[in-house]
Amino acid sequence: MRRILFLTVAATFALAADPPDLSGVWSPGRAAGAGAPAPPTPILMKGSYKTQYDALNTKIREATGRGEQYAVKGLCSPYGMPTMMQVAVYPMEVIQTPKQVTLIGEAFSEVRRIYIGMKQLSADDVAPGYYGHSVGHWEGDTLVVDTIGIKESVAGYSNLIHSDQMRITERIRRPSPDALHDQITIEDPVTLEKPVTYTLVYRRLNDYEMVEFVCDNNREYIDENNIVRMRLGSK
Amino acid sequence: MVRKLTSFLIASLALLVLPLLAHHSFVMFDTAKQVTVKGTVTAFEWTNPHTYIEVDATDAEGKAKHWSVELGSPSILIQSGWKHNTLKKGSNVTLLINPLKNGDPGGLLVSATLEDGKTLGNGPGRGPATPKGK
Repeated sequence: MRRILFLTVAATFALAADPPDLSGVWSPGRAAGAGAPAPPTPILMKGSYKTQYDALNTKIREATGRGEQYAVKGLCSPYGMPTMMQVAVYPMEVIQTPKQVTLIGEAFSEVRRIYIGMKQLSADDVAPGYYGHSVGHWEGDTLVVDTIGIKESVAGYSNLIHSDQMRITERIRRPSPDALHDQITIEDPVTLEKPVTYTLVYRRLNDYEMVEFVCDNNREYIDENNIVRMRLGSK
Repeated sequence: MVRKLTSFLIASLALLVLPLLAHHSFVMFDTAKQVTVKGTVTAFEWTNPHTYIEVDATDAEGKAKHWSVELGSPSILIQSGWKHNTLKKGSNVTLLINPLKNGDPGGLLVSATLEDGKTLGNGPGRGPATPKGK
């Protein structure tokens, strides 16, 4: 009897120590009320970067006022980090194993890999790219992820300007079985006065099969004034 | 209460306009205007980042006019009941579209009425079909 009790208690502690399984397909959602995350913190850019940032936003606003769209990224290129973490209504698939969490965004079929328990590489050892290099560890029920190595040409969150020293910290957790939150903090000692923090919210999609997304029929193009136009078909 | 309801409505409206924003905004289309294009499908391109319907139609004066109509991506359209083979070359369709602001014969689909009378929208929150699965 004592042995059974011991095993039960041991199993309970073992279960409690296991990290939650984030696997599944998650759809962008929103949370309201008591469970809602804090609103995004403001984007405060440094000196000349603020001037550039304000100028870009002015161009975007003026184009919108004229009924046009000012392009901020290539129209068939992926979003990269951190924007890929939530693109419109497109779902994201999470595949979790003890040593790796893989995230697949449906829009543009973007993939990133988070290596669990691995020490972050030095910046010199990461070739700048769309997804950089991500390592993670568990703090209780929260997966804490550190990402470096995002190349400067990858459009930033809300079009903020970032340097090759941008560092992204995520705190990913499941506040309930069917909800996922990703709190994202962006730090950049070169371009940002203060870190920017915002939280993305997802809800579980049951029985959803991810749909292929290969950008092979892009009819929109960017004209000489950086405005998005639609090319008509001829068939 | 009114404030909460207003916030909810604003959030709901944001979701309604989100589906096509993965690639570009709607701003090139005149969403305040709707045009009916009735004609024969010459191509149905089930592709990313957008699906397209090419249609041979006639204008108000009876002259032939070709239209290019943009839809959401396959992922989004599936949620509105579309399939890769919903339309075929030669299908007769009636399309309700928001035309391009620059006057070119192109537009953004609002809804499509098929030969069998079925009407499909342009993704969740865009047109009459009920979203499924999401």
